[in-house]
Amino acid sequence: MAQIEQSSGGGKKKKGAQKKMSIHVDFTPMVDMNMLLITFFMLCTTMIKSQTLQIVLPTNEDVKKEQQSQAKQSEAITLILDTEYNGDKPRVDAETGKTIHNIYYYEGIADTTFSTSKYLQKEQFIGNMNHEAQGIRKILLNKNKEVMAEYTKLKEQWKNKEITKEEFEQAAKKNASDSLKTRPVVVIKPGPNTTYEGLINAIDEMNINQISRYSIELPTHTDTLLLKHFEQQSGETIIRPTIRTNSRAAAPAAAEEEETNS
Amino acid sequence: MGKVKIKRKSTLIDMTAMSDVTVLLLTFFMLTSTFLQKEPTIVYTPSSVSEEKVPMNNLVTVLVSSADKSGKLDDPTVAEGKLFISFTGDADSTLSSEKIRGLMLDEAISVYNDQHKNNRIVLDENQKAQFRTTNMIGVPFASLPKVLSMSVTERDKFLGDMTNPEVGIPIDGNKNRDGRLNDFQIWLKAIYNVAQRINNDQTEGLTPEERAQVSNLYTALMRKGQGIAIKADKDTPFTTVQLVFDNLQTMKLNKFSLMTALKSENEPTN
Repeated sequence: MAQIEQSSGGGKKKKGAQKKMSIHVDFTPMVDMNMLLITFFMLCTTMIKSQTLQIVLPTNEDVKKEQQSQAKQSEAITLILDTEYNGDKPRVDAETGKTIHNIYYYEGIADTTFSTSKYLQKEQFIGNMNHEAQGIRKILLNKNKEVMAEYTKLKEQWKNKEITKEEFEQAAKKNASDSLKTRPVVVIKPGPNTTYEGLINAIDEMNINQISRYSIELPTHTDTLLLKHFEQQSGETIIRPTIRTNSRAAAPAAAEEEETNS
Repeated sequence: MGKVKIKRKSTLIDMTAMSDVTVLLLTFFMLTSTFLQKEPTIVYTPSSVSEEKVPMNNLVTVLVSSADKSGKLDDPTVAEGKLFISFTGDADSTLSSEKIRGLMLDEAISVYNDQHKNNRIVLDENQKAQFRTTNMIGVPFASLPKVLSMSVTERDKFLGDMTNPEVGIPIDGNKNRDGRLNDFQIWLKAIYNVAQRINNDQTEGLTPEERAQVSNLYTALMRKGQGIAIKADKDTPFTTVQLVFDNLQTMKLNKFSLMTALKSENEPTN
């Protein structure tokens, strides 16, 4: 391959014909150099392109009670997040190798009389299994099924190339904030031990389930009360000592009691 | 007995094919990858289903360091929650990163000196030039002159030591709204001021193209929330990240983005 054979092309040697020459180029140094370059590029560059998740937070100044927007009781759902710890590292599932996050949720106003067993329920982020929503996703999906039904239709149209991607995105956005449909209001409350990943997972579920109204708040005393009662009833340890006691942030558990959305 | 003659084979291997393959690989790597930006510490961002790409231009990245994972420290949490800030301008050099960093630094220093009348900091041209070429920096304002006088290797070593209390932008004392801003808030204020002032056409020495570029930055920052990205480790406790959120809220930057890696919707979340 790398040699060029120059033959005089016939049987007989003519007089004055040039000598047979073999030009052989040694490519080994070239390969060496290329390998070095590849190594350099593999070490100094990254193929992973980061994505971003947009969030909008309300002002943290004190808002008067009259100015606070009130959600309907039937629409409200509160998720209290928690991450399990093993020592000072988040506990990981032995099988999947992923951190274990727990979600304790209740619908409507916090039921401090514990009249029904639904005052607090436990769920996890499981995602989809066999293309069926599982865990907390299933609960949120049910809460937002009117929007999701329309969304599935739109997605179908987009996949069948009836509408363009831009049209789909616009329609989906409009659909998610359609005030004629029953839409939930989700309050995400990351507990003191929640990792950043737990929060991102929760926001992710909002995006997957097309929930346009959600807020991130710190847990209140009422929430702690519910957790304590749940702990007594189930026999599980839920309230663990705060992992970062020396954390410079104020412990969310000590947050002032807020008006529950009603 | 006849001698067995062993034929001498040529050991020459034809490397042309090999060379072809390596060149192809090289081309692939050169085209698909982007260079790693020098950051003082490595964080592993959590994954989300959001498909929005991180903007390449006009971005302020806030890096929150994670607890020490090497196991060398007695208390790994001392390394946690250190803040670093990085400014990226436009790659098309209408308003390069260098220029943006210069503007931000001047503004931040003037805000700082305004608040600390007794311990003003003064940077010489050389130190400013150092700042413009550094991708990510995270030290209190009081340490800036010292850190910017170091050589590049020294500075990298200094910034990489998460146990050093002088590393990381101070973020304490957020609630004191009427009084002094903390160092992180000064940076945020500088970002806001620079974006707004140039948007209002009040800065001298900028070409119309550059002005248009800053105006883009302003839009990205204030309207769409794409201008500020927070990069934190997935195992960092929420309380640490919450502190950053809280400071952003105090400075009226309520819209911002969180950096994540991509995952599919069907993938089981943890």
